[in-house]
Amino acid sequence: MTNQISRRRVLQGITALPFAGSLSLSARAALAQSTTMTAAITGYSVINSLDPAKASLIPEFYVIWGVFNGLMKFDDEMNVVPDLAETVTALDGGGYEFKLKSGVKFHDGSELTAEDVKFTFDRVMDKETASPNAGKLGKVSKVEVVDPLTVRILTEGSYAPLLTFLTNARTGTQIISKAAFEAMGAEAFSRAPVGTGAWKVSDWRAGEGLTLSAHPDYFEGKPGFETVEVPLIAEEASGVTALQGGQIDMTSTAPAADVSMLMQDSKIQVLRQPGLNTRFISINLKKAPFDDIHFRRAVSMAFQREAMVQAVIFGEGVPAQGVIPPQLPAYYSTEPRAYMKFDPAAAKAEMAKSKYKPEEVEVGVITWSGGWWKRFAEIFVAQVNQTLGTKFKVEVTDANTAYARQKSGDFEAGVWGWLGMVDPDEYVGDLLTSTGWRNFQGYSNPEVDQLAAQGLAETDPAKRPEYYKKAEAIAMDEVALIPCFCSNIHNLLRADLEGFVQKPYSNFADQFRSMKLS
Amino acid sequence: MSELLGTQAKAPGLSERWGPVALYLLKRLLSGALVLLAGTAAVFFTIQAAPGDPALSALGEQATPEAIAAFRAEYGLDAPLMVQYVRWLLGFFQGDLGQSLAVARGMPVGALVLQKLPATVFVGFFALFLAVVLSLVLGTLAALNRGKATDTIATSIAVFGVSMPDFWMSYVLIFGLSLGLGLFPAFGYVAPSTSLTGALHATFLPALAIAAPMAAVFARTLRAVLIETLSKPYVTAAKSFGLRRPFILVHFVLRNAMVPYLTVVGLQIRYILGGVVVVERIFGIPGIGSLMVDGAFARDYNVLQACTVVFLAIVLLVNVAVDMICALLDPKQTVK
Repeated sequence: MTNQISRRRVLQGITALPFAGSLSLSARAALAQSTTMTAAITGYSVINSLDPAKASLIPEFYVIWGVFNGLMKFDDEMNVVPDLAETVTALDGGGYEFKLKSGVKFHDGSELTAEDVKFTFDRVMDKETASPNAGKLGKVSKVEVVDPLTVRILTEGSYAPLLTFLTNARTGTQIISKAAFEAMGAEAFSRAPVGTGAWKVSDWRAGEGLTLSAHPDYFEGKPGFETVEVPLIAEEASGVTALQGGQIDMTSTAPAADVSMLMQDSKIQVLRQPGLNTRFISINLKKAPFDDIHFRRAVSMAFQREAMVQAVIFGEGVPAQGVIPPQLPAYYSTEPRAYMKFDPAAAKAEMAKSKYKPEEVEVGVITWSGGWWKRFAEIFVAQVNQTLGTKFKVEVTDANTAYARQKSGDFEAGVWGWLGMVDPDEYVGDLLTSTGWRNFQGYSNPEVDQLAAQGLAETDPAKRPEYYKKAEAIAMDEVALIPCFCSNIHNLLRADLEGFVQKPYSNFADQFRSMKLS
Repeated sequence: MSELLGTQAKAPGLSERWGPVALYLLKRLLSGALVLLAGTAAVFFTIQAAPGDPALSALGEQATPEAIAAFRAEYGLDAPLMVQYVRWLLGFFQGDLGQSLAVARGMPVGALVLQKLPATVFVGFFALFLAVVLSLVLGTLAALNRGKATDTIATSIAVFGVSMPDFWMSYVLIFGLSLGLGLFPAFGYVAPSTSLTGALHATFLPALAIAAPMAAVFARTLRAVLIETLSKPYVTAAKSFGLRRPFILVHFVLRNAMVPYLTVVGLQIRYILGGVVVVERIFGIPGIGSLMVDGAFARDYNVLQACTVVFLAIVLLVNVAVDMICALLDPKQTVK
């Protein structure tokens, strides 16, 4: 051991001499002072707001999950269970009554009451707030304070996803302190928010990172670490080298290409599982050539999804034949679907029925150069052209433009995907119904709309999945979009760090409290 | 001695040259301001013409149409482009660069830029310093040992440096000097105000990654100029007077080589800015380069605009400064 180290130590010693003051940063590992953990948000560099009502980007929620609580939360098995609520009772005629836990303290020392809950929800629903998360409470008609620890949320008819949308996930319904918000104003609150969570935001540096400090009165007990530094590392590859170099202790993501290499590294733990996401080819059904159902079916059968998973995300995912990911097991359909698998002969036969000739149509497939998205489009285009003799081509732009063009209908096809959605309605209802706001393809089928509406109202967990499964099957038969795969989510941790339970929506700061060094 | 050699004898004294130099400086600064103004218009209308929307970056993909409309109204993005530009310009003249739209929503851009500028300036100067020192050593060694092994080695290092893009160089340095030998951190930044040695240590690799390609260009230029200067008659004359080689090198050769060398250095400054944009992201340095990249991706027009103004101003100022230094070094060069 000493022999091995000696040369390196000597070199370190030599170069460290003029830099004596900086040893704290480099030579030691980040966790040497075990009161501080450095947990990097990788792949993102922007946090605009830590106000749940205004938050929309995943890195914003990564932090919010540690600073706030919801009325509900997902437990380690992804069941919806009470968080700030003590008990939940369904009301006749729609809605729920929540008894709050008593003695829960905000960061400023004040106690949580039903007034805070009402204030939080009213604010999310208020048009003035212009909350991107207002849709989560779209069917809520009224929030009533019954007594200081009891609150009722009334809905127009029964609204099945409500409890899911009240969890401390990517929802924006996390409970804020009414008094603190009114005292600080929206702007200041969004930088130094006051919640009930295990962590207070003690410093926020735009484009750079945050410092979280432990909330000593947290209702589930004080966190193990005193401080968590949360740097924003835009390049995932830099996150890996920073972890290997000991500058950080964990990451929020990992580059798919490096996962197999990192799993060989004894100094690093790789946590991974299929995520709550869906990756597909978004197609414009209002324009040639995807307005033709036979053309769509032909294209959907003209490429190998398994090969795509290997080539695009290095095997870090599973092929998809619908929009609902396997991590929603009750809703996930395993029945084989006719047009959702590679079958060159059937693809050519469908193409023959189409009103378009493959060699005559030129389709631009929009993508952008971040991560594996460009490769995703390239593999798709190459396979389809090879199978069908079409003239698809890859059109590279940036993510913002790709999104804007799909949203405005200015596209024929493009790679796309959604991440972190927890309710089946966010997949089937938003993506496949004629009024769904994620339905950029312009797909419309009254039967699908009807089934999704029934699913939205069905509060019986045993019956609800059937509606969504049926709706998805119809839409996939008509190829409303071309599903491709569901990708794994990852966290990288140094080997001796423990206590992080990964959840498929890609969680983060909500786990910091129970983490420690082994 | 200088009279004998005739290089400096007829040149006006330093003090006599200050008058025209000051006038020249004023002219250059004025024309620079005009270029800057034209630059702001060019950048403003170019980025606005690019597809994409800051509202989508700030509010995310899940934003409702109402939220997007409210956002556009809040930041005046619903006004005609010309109006938006004039508003920006009026603010600019009053020192108000507007609010960030999508990288730090609502934060004053001026404050954001001031917060990020020191890191970029520090790394930039560090890189320039390394590039100059490396090139002076390599270029001089190569020129003095022309055709020998030292020349071959120095020239090879230069070719190697110039052909390595800065992002590749960054990873080579990280894997070699950081993960391999553990000499420097692979990531992170320490402000010089916190610890100067810490800052030098933390930014050594990024500065070197930016400096290496530049040092290579500088060294090659210096080598060529030195070789040319070394064959000048006044050098032969100086040798024949029996002056010692180091004295000749410093007083006659290097001094005369400095003008073309510094001109190249001045021209290359913009590569520091280009390098900073890439390298800051790889090493997580919270500077203007990172801010500009974030601003561009998020379509934060105000941030992007401010970063461009800063970069443009730096390039203009550095070019003026280099011209001034050259004018002062070379008595024959008249300022116009």
